[in-house]
Amino acid sequence: MAAIELQNVVKRYGAFVGVREFSLAIPDEEFLVLLGPSGCGKTTTMRMIAGLEEPTEGRIVIGGEDMTEVDARDRDVAMVFQGYALYPNMTIYDNIRFPLRMRGVPATDHDRLIRRAADMVELGAYLDRKPGALSGGQRQRAALARAIVRQPQAFLMDEPLSNLDAKLRASMRVQIKHLQRELRATTVYVTHDQIEAMTLADRIVVMNQGAVQQVGTPDEIYADPANTFVAGFIGAPPMNLIDGVADGGTFTAPGVTAPCPATLQGKVVLGIRPEDCVVGGGNLTGSVYGVEPTGDMTYLTVNVGTRQVEVKAARDFRAGLDTPLTIGFDPRRTYFFDGATGQRLRHGS
Amino acid sequence: MTDALSNPGAVKAAPVTRPRRRRSRTMRRLFPYLLVAPAVIYLLGITLYPGLFAMWQSLYFVRFNNATFVGLENYADLMRDREFWQALWNTLVIGTISLTVQTVLALTLAYHAYRDPWVKGWRILFLMPMLFMPSAVAYLWQLAFNDGRVISDILMRAGVVDATIPFLSSVWLARLTLIVTDVWQWTPFLFIIFVAGLQSQDAEVEEAARLDGASWFQIFWNVSLPLLRPVIAVAVVLRGIDISTMFASVTIMTAGTPGGMTETISYFIYRTGFRMFNFGYASAASVVMLVLTIVIAQTVVKRAFRSGRA
Repeated sequence: MAAIELQNVVKRYGAFVGVREFSLAIPDEEFLVLLGPSGCGKTTTMRMIAGLEEPTEGRIVIGGEDMTEVDARDRDVAMVFQGYALYPNMTIYDNIRFPLRMRGVPATDHDRLIRRAADMVELGAYLDRKPGALSGGQRQRAALARAIVRQPQAFLMDEPLSNLDAKLRASMRVQIKHLQRELRATTVYVTHDQIEAMTLADRIVVMNQGAVQQVGTPDEIYADPANTFVAGFIGAPPMNLIDGVADGGTFTAPGVTAPCPATLQGKVVLGIRPEDCVVGGGNLTGSVYGVEPTGDMTYLTVNVGTRQVEVKAARDFRAGLDTPLTIGFDPRRTYFFDGATGQRLRHGS
Repeated sequence: MTDALSNPGAVKAAPVTRPRRRRSRTMRRLFPYLLVAPAVIYLLGITLYPGLFAMWQSLYFVRFNNATFVGLENYADLMRDREFWQALWNTLVIGTISLTVQTVLALTLAYHAYRDPWVKGWRILFLMPMLFMPSAVAYLWQLAFNDGRVISDILMRAGVVDATIPFLSSVWLARLTLIVTDVWQWTPFLFIIFVAGLQSQDAEVEEAARLDGASWFQIFWNVSLPLLRPVIAVAVVLRGIDISTMFASVTIMTAGTPGGMTETISYFIYRTGFRMFNFGYASAASVVMLVLTIVIAQTVVKRAFRSGRA
């Protein structure tokens, strides 16, 4: 396994910038997740690491070696594709064997390596089937087995779970994490699903429109967002962002007042997570728009002025439509962002 | 009426109650058949009728308006006819070589070209030879090989040979001229089909193979080619059927010479039917050829699809 380093990597398609100035060091054995909405450049970044796309500028270093100009087949990285990309004409056994054959691993070792990889993903019983005869989850595991059968420098995974149903996705998520720990494999994982990112990652890179928004551990990304994009992307439902004005230590917006650092002045955005709001209390006055009980809690949507605010209320909270009510914010959990740039305004700065 | 014209809003506002029309059950059942009927009648008229007529005629000895029933005698004669067997063999030899050469050539070209965006945009250019009439192409090559001696001349100037090559005097040279003509005209057809087939394959699979360490050729050989199998089978069968009826180039370039060694089945049928006016006998040969073609094509396609399935 090896460390990966991206140095000022840029990808342009004509005038369109796919990835801007991406610099990041991924230490050995790290599980790194590239997270962002579709078209944010996360897949392009991964494909540049794989060697399937050539960066317009910058360098890519894998295991201390400059790989920028090296062909994909000689980079020794394994990739799991969104559509599995199994060879439909071969059995699962031959699929897993293919990288061994192509890389000249001695034929006498093949069977042992293939069975070990298949057992790791619990696919031992399906080796003689063709991909067409497997379910989505089994195909996904076959693709994983093909990636782990040789010990590559790094694993790249491009939205590997997005074609699976919700239940299977949850169990595969645990399996992938376990596998990564067991193999101590440097892994770059691309997803647009923030739950996957939060649960799998050692570190998350949040991207938008080709630019890195924030790099940090899941806890940092969640508790300390760098800007309104990150704040609004992470969390389910995401953070409420309320445009208003700060003056003399008080934030005001239609229907909302909250204390803020005295240093803030002018147009700012207040951020508060649904789980940091309580029904009752005096920061917000509005009326009930919707109540969605889920069993373990109740999602409450409140109309305030022209906007809506999401609140996670107690599991037994119920209210009729248009009932007036007030909401309180946890004062330690309010965030403030610059009204123009969306950048975080830190207390005391 | 005048009211409605002067005040169209009123007309719009009044809901029109119309009885819902229903087609009778029989009509609904027959309707799809009625829609395809003209095409079916047309096709039956130009293919099924002559086909059945040929089968009927193959059981008769026919001299113009004079048909005598002879049962299976035409077929029995055919089985003993050395010229028929020779024509069948010639067709098989020329067809197999020509088909193999053009398939390999088209696959090689497709492998090198299918990733090229230029090929995608200018596919139609490659179809040019196909757009010529087969007889025009035959005259062209007749000129090059025999009448104009262009090929001999080029080879002489290049110092490969010393004298004009007598293409029509040797069995294999004469067959070669037919093969070259067919390959020249029909390789593009296979090329276009193969390129389309390769381009429709999942690019992710190719990328996966790339990352697994395969070279371009290994990807082609291990992944793309096996996946292309059904496409190849269909294309080769279509071409094979076409080649088995090879006629224009034979008539124009060799007329079966030397010694009937380039006479194809189609030319044999033409000769017995329209030169010797033995229509019943020619019909019998046609029926034999039809059965042979159907059996071979069916077998090839079925096999290719069975093992090509994932």
